[in-house]
Amino acid sequence: MDTEVYSFALKNALIEIQNICPDIKNAFMFREDGEIVAVDADTPENTVVRVINAFDGVFEKADALGGVESITLDSSKGRVSASCMNDLYLVTVTTKKADMNYVNTVTRVLIPTVLKLIEKISPAPLKNNLSEPEMKPETPMERKSEEVARAYAGETVTKEPREPVQTDTKPEAVLPEPPVNQFIVENIGGLLVPSDTVRVDNEILSQWNELYPDRKINDVEIETFGGKSARCKIKPIKGSKYEDKGLIQMPDKIQSTLEIKKGELVRVKPIVE
Amino acid sequence: MVKKKKSLQEIEAVTEPIAIEEATAVNSLKASLEAIKEYDGVIGYILRNTTSASIDLKDPTKIIDYAILSSSALDAGKVLSELFDLGDASNIVVNGKSIKMVSLIVGETKVSVFMDRSADSEKVLRRLHEI
Repeated sequence: MDTEVYSFALKNALIEIQNICPDIKNAFMFREDGEIVAVDADTPENTVVRVINAFDGVFEKADALGGVESITLDSSKGRVSASCMNDLYLVTVTTKKADMNYVNTVTRVLIPTVLKLIEKISPAPLKNNLSEPEMKPETPMERKSEEVARAYAGETVTKEPREPVQTDTKPEAVLPEPPVNQFIVENIGGLLVPSDTVRVDNEILSQWNELYPDRKINDVEIETFGGKSARCKIKPIKGSKYEDKGLIQMPDKIQSTLEIKKGELVRVKPIVE
Repeated sequence: MVKKKKSLQEIEAVTEPIAIEEATAVNSLKASLEAIKEYDGVIGYILRNTTSASIDLKDPTKIIDYAILSSSALDAGKVLSELFDLGDASNIVVNGKSIKMVSLIVGETKVSVFMDRSADSEKVLRRLHEI
């Protein structure tokens, strides 16, 4: 059984669940790495992509909770529920009046049963098969820049882009996404301190240089949790007092521009040109 | 001719400044969170608004991860509510394999409470929604 059939089976299961529970407005399944596995007939694929992107930040820091088992959003007009089943996430969107006990009973019985059945019929793993060229989505979607930024925010490890890469691009020409590091703001003062330069651990600069050996990283983009951002020059921290403490030394002018002060957290991303 | 004396009694409209009302709401929230912190299994909270933040966690090494998680979950809640036209997001609960996080927005303040998986998140939510 190939992945197309696998997806078809799950899609039909989702449609059947909606037939049994009409209060389920949308249902779809995806893997934690962002691969869409199955989508019901009513949910546009770009909506699914936006949902996955929205969950990205949660998944990235899920280790702090021991991994995510489920996410439930309660709103005034309905509920979104994402449950982990056999390494897949099933997302259901239900109306306010939905009987969640019934919905949960149906979904938590039917989907694992279908998954087990598929596994028995054909033990071929689903993992990564959907990203093969012949399985590209019919309507590839472009990620918005802010969604990409959010997806990588708070993460020091570079990840591969989720959307299929154009085949006419040479693999060696594709640069990895810039990592995003977090630092605590520390003051830097003095007469000879340039007002447009921040300083971070030399080790971080070395990591970035290793990641982009053919590029020179002179600038970084700093983003605050309040949504402000600025581009600054970057240099290594001087003096062991501030090293290895996750600090970013920042002149008053930049702190003022970003509306932050000493002790606050910022996200920093190298600008690769 | 006798003139009637004007009454000295005047009625003053008493209106509290908005800032004081907000401060009262935040204080009330903080008081509730202090009470919630004593619930079984609750390991701490993060409270954040546009001007200030309070963090009270038993394990300070987790502050950054929890802060990002809290922010990401609330952002996700907003996106999902808009995407599926679900109206105002009431709360978002992330059930981890070991820790559970309950996040919601009260007025202008973003609140996340962290607790053991076995803790009663409904009780926490009820208390927070009382505010």
